[in-house]
Amino acid sequence: MIDFDAVLLAFDLLFSSFTPWLVVIPGILIGLVFGAVPGLQISMAMAIFLPMTLYMDFMQAMLFLTAIFTGGTFGSGVPAILMNIPGTSSAIATAFDGYPMARKGKHNQALGVALGASAFGVLIGYIILFVLIKPISMSVLKIGPAEMFAVILWGMTLIASLSGTFIVKGLIAGFAGLLIGTIGFNETGVLRGTLGSEYLLDGVPVIPAMMGMFAASELLRLVNTQYLVENEAARKVNIKLILQGFLHAFKYPVVLIRGSIIGVFVGAVPGVGSSVSNLLSYIETKRRDPDPLSFGRGNPKGVIASESANSTSEAGSMATLLALGIPGGGATAVMLAAFAMHNITGGPQFIREQTDVVYAIIFANFGQVFLLIALALMCLPVLANVVRVPMNYLIPSVLALAIFGSFGLVGNMSGPITVLVFAVIGWLFRRYNYSVPAAVIGVLLGSMAESSLLHTLQISGGQFSYVLERPITMAIMALLVLSLFGSKLMELLTKRSAVNS
Amino acid sequence: MKCKRIVYADLLVLLGLALFTSWYLYQAWSASSKIENLIFILPVAAITLLLCAFEAIKQLGSKTVNQAENEEQQESVLSVLPVMGLFAAYVLTLEWLGFDLGTVLFIAAFLLIQGERRPAWLVAYSLVFGALVALFFSNMLPYPMPMTFIATEY
Repeated sequence: MIDFDAVLLAFDLLFSSFTPWLVVIPGILIGLVFGAVPGLQISMAMAIFLPMTLYMDFMQAMLFLTAIFTGGTFGSGVPAILMNIPGTSSAIATAFDGYPMARKGKHNQALGVALGASAFGVLIGYIILFVLIKPISMSVLKIGPAEMFAVILWGMTLIASLSGTFIVKGLIAGFAGLLIGTIGFNETGVLRGTLGSEYLLDGVPVIPAMMGMFAASELLRLVNTQYLVENEAARKVNIKLILQGFLHAFKYPVVLIRGSIIGVFVGAVPGVGSSVSNLLSYIETKRRDPDPLSFGRGNPKGVIASESANSTSEAGSMATLLALGIPGGGATAVMLAAFAMHNITGGPQFIREQTDVVYAIIFANFGQVFLLIALALMCLPVLANVVRVPMNYLIPSVLALAIFGSFGLVGNMSGPITVLVFAVIGWLFRRYNYSVPAAVIGVLLGSMAESSLLHTLQISGGQFSYVLERPITMAIMALLVLSLFGSKLMELLTKRSAVNS
Repeated sequence: MKCKRIVYADLLVLLGLALFTSWYLYQAWSASSKIENLIFILPVAAITLLLCAFEAIKQLGSKTVNQAENEEQQESVLSVLPVMGLFAAYVLTLEWLGFDLGTVLFIAAFLLIQGERRPAWLVAYSLVFGALVALFFSNMLPYPMPMTFIATEY
């Protein structure tokens, strides 16, 4: 499975000269900034800096782009924790518990926990990639729309889990979100619910909708609050507490490892990737926890679950890019462009003939993890000062930032208008106890679920037996049923055996 | 009286969701009644409507208002509405005012509504923040943004 000669050559490629490493620190910093500013995306950073890679050799270009990827994946969790704005859809679940932690005055610990889980995720993800790059990429080829639907269905169960105390209202919010997610053209070219607006042809812009529902509606609710953290003593920024949080993440190895495994395999699925992996990891952690009600109220395990999964997804998406030449999302699509600029084509032949280069990229990411930790520990104390800004200054500043960001994401005024509309919907939902996270998950998964279900229908010709012939679909469905009812079934069986004996 | 108003407002939100679901289902059905178009929308809409009906019956049947206990119900709508109106005005006038001028005005107006009475501080913060953010985004984004003072191709 591992080619040891190629390993030696990879070390030689990386360490014979210091030059490839010169671009890593700027890369991570660019990624951190683009991830942390709502509206700027990792793929945008890569696209902006892509022309610079023309002047680099292939190895250096890959190190630069993966450094942006690594920095950006962690960076997107920072506004999710401090402002309830997930920088990307891969940080949605980070906001569920990260933001409540920040509001309780545990912003230092939350940032530290996120960093610890992210660093572990990247490291373990690339270790898995190093050992299993070929099997992972081959398994991706066996994944079709039926398997994708099964994974998305698993993600949709989160809607019920996030419904909170008002279950029926939570479900209504989630299902309405699913419908909103399908607005616009469907895969067969039928147009639905656009009200004649050309801005909605591609559907409701998901991330601006998320910014409106999560951040803007929450900020409107906090108009009468003095500070994000009410307790003045808890408002301090402390590097020791960030470090404490960093170490705290490693107290939950099961959560970390489960998140990483989900992240690497779901991350490898093109088009689904880290957007769903963080949700799956969160839901599984919540479901298996002895105190599931503490989730959504500032449980650090929620942050660990999400961050370990979304950062591991980077390795998963790199697996499909390197081994198959298929980009899983925007960031890997830009990397594919960098491949083309250096006359390299990803795929089985690339892996076979240039194994040393593949290994060098993987090893470079091990090094990047430690640089990420060092750079993030330097930047986080500055960013954490957000909690010390009075709310009358913070609210308009964050709202304005969200509006700029939403324009940046879409490229026209539909972004800011989406933020406004969903801010009002989110405020109404919060006021009347409809679950905002459930609605956001619905909007995110709606079109994905519809497309994969439609593709399954088209491929199967409407025959249900098609699903029974797909072992991976059946396995995912079995896992889903087990995760939903497994513990209750076990309880029932234990009770029955106790009664019998 | 207050409890009754809360129940009515709650029912109104529920009615809004049910109406949206029915309208969207009708729209989708009118666009195409083929299975390819309705395979996902029809079951999801049907479940949503059933849940809305269930919730409405539950709310009409209940004599106590649980929501009144919720602290969010105690927030003053009157204090949120001006801010929401200001935010709406900011977003809806951006295309005419530009992101630079619009943001400076929005921040200054927000600070004023929220009780900032130091004119120098109010002007300085809104100007510096608005200008910096507008400059940053206009330089970083690959497409032009509407601006009044910053040069743009919008």
